[in-house]
Amino acid sequence: MTDPDDSPRHLGAIDRTLDAIAALCRIITGVALVALTAIFGWLVFGRYVLNATPTWVEQVAFLLVMVIAFLGAAVGVHEHTHLAVTALRSAVPARVRAVLVIATDLAMAGFGALMLLYGARLTLFKWGSQIPLIGLPEGLRSLPLTVGGGLILLFSLGHLLRRAQRRDLRRDTFE
Amino acid sequence: AGAETWRGWNIHVEGYPNTVAMDRFAELLDEKTDGEITLQMFHGGTLGSQPDAIEQVRLGGLAIGNFNLGPIGPIAPEANVVSLPFIFKDVDHMFRVLNGEGGQMISDGMEAKGLIPLAWYDAGARSFYNGDKPINAPDDVAGMKVRVMNNDLYSGMISELGGNPSPMAFAEVYQSLKTGVVDGAENNWPSYESTGHYEVAGYYSLSQHLIIPECLCINADIFNGLSEEMQDAVTEAAQESAALQRDLWAEREASSRETVEAAGVQTNEIADKTPFAEAMAPVYEAYLSQNADLRPLVELIQSTD
Amino acid sequence: MGLLVLLGLFGVCVLIGVPVAFALGISAIAAFWYEGLPLMIGFQRIISGINVFSLMAIPFFIFAGELMFHGGIAMRLVRFASAAVGAVRGGLGIVNVFSSMLFGGISGSAVADISALGSILVPVMKEKGYDADYAVNVTVTSSIAGIIIPPSHNMIIFAIAAGGGISISKLFLAGVVPGVLMCLCLALAAYLVAVRRGYRAETFPGWVALALAFLGALPGLMTAVIIVGGVLSGVFTVTESGAFGAIYAFLVTLLVYRNITWENFRIAVRQSVRTTAMVMILIACAGAFAYMLTFYRVPSRTVELMTGLTDNPILILLLINLVLLVLGMIMDMAALILICTPIFLPVANSLGVDPYQFGMILLVNLGLGLCTPPVGSCLFVGCAVGKLPMEKAVRTIWPFYFAIFLALMLITFVPAISLTLPGLVDP
Ligand code: NA
Ligand code: NA
Repeated sequence: MTDPDDSPRHLGAIDRTLDAIAALCRIITGVALVALTAIFGWLVFGRYVLNATPTWVEQVAFLLVMVIAFLGAAVGVHEHTHLAVTALRSAVPARVRAVLVIATDLAMAGFGALMLLYGARLTLFKWGSQIPLIGLPEGLRSLPLTVGGGLILLFSLGHLLRRAQRRDLRRDTFE
Repeated sequence: AGAETWRGWNIHVEGYPNTVAMDRFAELLDEKTDGEITLQMFHGGTLGSQPDAIEQVRLGGLAIGNFNLGPIGPIAPEANVVSLPFIFKDVDHMFRVLNGEGGQMISDGMEAKGLIPLAWYDAGARSFYNGDKPINAPDDVAGMKVRVMNNDLYSGMISELGGNPSPMAFAEVYQSLKTGVVDGAENNWPSYESTGHYEVAGYYSLSQHLIIPECLCINADIFNGLSEEMQDAVTEAAQESAALQRDLWAEREASSRETVEAAGVQTNEIADKTPFAEAMAPVYEAYLSQNADLRPLVELIQSTD
Repeated sequence: MGLLVLLGLFGVCVLIGVPVAFALGISAIAAFWYEGLPLMIGFQRIISGINVFSLMAIPFFIFAGELMFHGGIAMRLVRFASAAVGAVRGGLGIVNVFSSMLFGGISGSAVADISALGSILVPVMKEKGYDADYAVNVTVTSSIAGIIIPPSHNMIIFAIAAGGGISISKLFLAGVVPGVLMCLCLALAAYLVAVRRGYRAETFPGWVALALAFLGALPGLMTAVIIVGGVLSGVFTVTESGAFGAIYAFLVTLLVYRNITWENFRIAVRQSVRTTAMVMILIACAGAFAYMLTFYRVPSRTVELMTGLTDNPILILLLINLVLLVLGMIMDMAALILICTPIFLPVANSLGVDPYQFGMILLVNLGLGLCTPPVGSCLFVGCAVGKLPMEKAVRTIWPFYFAIFLALMLITFVPAISLTLPGLVDP
């Protein structure tokens, strides 16, 4: 493995960009979690203190959960925090292990691309109808999956690139 | 043409009127098309929630579905008209409308979104229930937290009656009624019984504020791709299954009512429902100002005898 | 053939190290493609997997747990617990089981239980010298108490799937004794394993120290009181109580314990989001996978195969248990309740098994399935919380499986366990 400082400058820039995107996602999902908690507090407050239950909470909550799930999952891909069975990987010689890791990254990149493509089609298909009680396009429901898919594609390509440059410093989950 | 296999969706469990009728539809389809079309039914909502299944039929993953018009409303605006409170006088009035020009307008609206209703099923009338007291006038609803399904019309209805509309996931309603997170909810007899809500909300007031039909729907491309002869066979099978469903539904309503009343539920007729219906004026107004093109349909329904 | 694509590709993906969540998604989408189904529906299933209201409690309980952990509540709770029962061998293991019994009785969600209790107790158990696998095993298996002890939204799903005629309040009552029995079996297993591994008992610190530990833990203990009290008195629903637990935990750690700093808060949020996203993406992709299993009629085919084998009632009940266990291993709970109830309930009825008892058999079976690989959301979350590879956790989980299995056999063959209480209270 080479020291990251020795790598060509443009690769360093790509890494920094991916890290920045992941950091942005962490901020968005963190804000979404705090907002999710707060609106449920508001729901109970509205029911008892205002005697007017805010009817938009449930549907907005669904959208926030989608944001947390799909953007958070993409960050998990970037940071290798998803649960995976690594028994075979750690049992085989380094050469075979490299093949397994590349196959995994390719599969993830492919799946991310499909999420992006079909998520976008789903979003367009549903854009015309409205989510009841909040009046926003139904297509918003599949937008987080679409964006998350694009990010998974991006982050997986990042892993492949680092591997091609022999800069893959990954440690397997919980090793 | 070779034999085709269709897949069908239904949310109800084995033994429910709609389930029996859908199975009968599958049999009739096989008979009337000489085995050209086989329908494989998936009951119990195992292939997804109702809004999801509607989408699956529109996309062609499923051919057939038994849907309530409530969740079709957000997709086909014409179908949302039946979710206006007190728009139908009673179930018979609803069927007269559906079998006439009004039904055709709703069908056309749905077909534009990829769904063709082959026949109309009965889902009875929805009434209020709660644990405190009988409801006889809009004032009785005032201040009450009432669980409603996700639709602006339903939450508007409760607001206009002076209540506090509380949209809530179906699975949480039982516990919420029991502990008082909500004071009441609304549904038809069979659901009131099968969900056990009558155990925790023992007053059923026959407001019959919503009479929402169900449809046996088919994917539009699949139906339009059939020969005319086949289309007739499919429609005929659907109509026959609907006749069966309505009979079974009537039986089920009666037996559900008997069950809950034997368990001690207090049922009350509402002598005069006009104050409820009149309180809906702002709901209609808001709806028609947003959907001006649907005014003729609403007026057509209201003027149908 | 399509089924082979689904299961085969899933196996291959898991084996080469694709994260389990994405292995489910990839194999499901491949099966959609193989069957010529619109792929948009595959991704709709992934979205719908988490578009479920009762899942909303998960991020809240995770968040509350993280706040309690990083804000010093957890430490004080455990200080009190070990002062109280630490003198028993394997005391924290037993504390873990009984907190699940209480907490599960509130939340009704096994995964929420692990997120809340596991994120508090597992790190502390590790700190006190318990092995990570033991801590994870106890946490994972005891969490399914939440499904059996009322209230439980899974029981409501069962009642709906049974098609009427089942009283939910009676079903809730039926769950009390089986739930407690299962916890006793697990506590015994926790004790025996602790003895074998030679975990030390701590010395009893004396009554004064116990009282002081209790006072220190009291504001934290109030979290549970607020959640239970709030739900039982009808102030809020289970989901809302989760949000309130998080808000209360934040306020206590900010104003009373003064342990929460901006930095601590950020870490709590970041950890919560990470765990939530991991769990949610798994449940999401499992939604698409379950759709294809239903599409291939795997559950009903399995039953046909089974009833063709024998007509002996004891064997059939054992067979039902076996089939549910196997299906529970590869599929998600709510979907299985909806699919299996209409199929198995009539079979059980024809054997004279009471529907309420059958409900308990079904729920314990599927609960056990939540703790097993390859698809077990409790096991996944428990491993995530314990930062332990799944294969390591599973290697030593057998005594706990056995404890649940023992409870399951008692529940299956002794109807009185499920039926006495509802008979007394609600004849
Ligand atoms: Na536990
Ligand atoms: Na499992």
